[in-house]
Amino acid sequence: MQTWDDRQPIYQQLAALLAEQLIDGDPPEGDAMPSVRALAGQYLLNPLTVSRALQALGEDGLLENRRGMGLYVKPGARDRLKQAERRRFLEAEWPRLRERLRRLGIGSEQLNWEAR
Amino acid sequence: MNAPQEQAISASALVHAKGLTVRYGAKRAVDDVSFTIPKGRVVGLLGHNGAGKTTLMKALVGLANAEGELRVLGKHPKRDRVALLQSACYIPDVAILPRWARVDDLITLMSGLHPSFSAERAKGLLKRTSVGLRDRVKVLSKGMVVQAHLALVAAIDARLMILDEPTLGLDVLSRKSFYEMLIDEWCDGERSVLISTHQVEEIETLLSDVLMLNEGKLVLSISLEDMDRRFVALSHDASVADEMAAAHPLLRYRGGAGRDSRTSVFDGTPPDNVLSLGQRVRPSLVDLFVALTRKPELDRQHF
Repeated sequence: MQTWDDRQPIYQQLAALLAEQLIDGDPPEGDAMPSVRALAGQYLLNPLTVSRALQALGEDGLLENRRGMGLYVKPGARDRLKQAERRRFLEAEWPRLRERLRRLGIGSEQLNWEAR
Repeated sequence: MNAPQEQAISASALVHAKGLTVRYGAKRAVDDVSFTIPKGRVVGLLGHNGAGKTTLMKALVGLANAEGELRVLGKHPKRDRVALLQSACYIPDVAILPRWARVDDLITLMSGLHPSFSAERAKGLLKRTSVGLRDRVKVLSKGMVVQAHLALVAAIDARLMILDEPTLGLDVLSRKSFYEMLIDEWCDGERSVLISTHQVEEIETLLSDVLMLNEGKLVLSISLEDMDRRFVALSHDASVADEMAAAHPLLRYRGGAGRDSRTSVFDGTPPDNVLSLGQRVRPSLVDLFVALTRKPELDRQHF
């Protein structure tokens, strides 16, 4: 079972999870999102919670409603998400990481950039 | 909300209760309870043993004498009980089926008993379980009996399903299949489910609304969406515990985001100076349950 933490409302956590999958191309741009019922069954969530998550993604400009056909991944959604993730990394994560690297005395030449 | 709107909502509600009271002698098992259940909801009925959950459920299907206003699917449960049970199901215990019967016997029996039962649908649902049509109930595990029972129930074209402790005594896998069936078969936007359980943490994400009973009284009736907005939980350092306490939280407990952290749950948003002392977290249903019913028998460690 998917576990949810206590930090954010569950619909936001689901929206974040679905956004991560969109970055990975699942589903690809232009394709239909899974239905509310399918997602509800998959994550064992009330359909209203799923609807709220999809609505949040729609408000972020990632999904579009095609009348009578449901929600589709908007062209350019992956780029938008990646941009937002990069901004978040550079603004929030990087300063903390840089601080930690400095404190530990680790320079960029000591970091292995090749390993997978 | 204006009056006509309110009327329209209560008219379309599957359950409408106002000032509902059930007495057992001098004791009020259900005490002046008012709520509505619209269509398409999954409502959790929470309360400690003896809080009145079963009595309330029985009243909804006309099995307990209730005072006050009560309409279920637009009907009077006591007077119109037979008609009501065409489209409402009450399952007091999902783990009980006659041991001597074969599963296909039960399907035949249900077809004869219940006009809105679909044998095809029951068979379709059973295919997704490990229960065979030719199996006798006595050879099935408890979890399989529940799956069989739920398949039979889900095959009734009912608009309201009332389940009393459906997960009692089930192992985690059986509970999971129960939750899957609940979401897949019952959450179609039309049917509603009222479900009582002690498995609060597991069921929280499946619910759309919660009714909380304490000693017969309804202490909370709220949608999960509104719950997120109304209650504020703050995870904070132990060193600011006194300031938090001074702001009158509903509940405080050890644990939270950090190692030596505490969590305080407030009804409504506390003042900014208090908000700034902690990190806002999601108030869990278990926390609220503990806070509003004040019986520390759940698994959180309390002050």
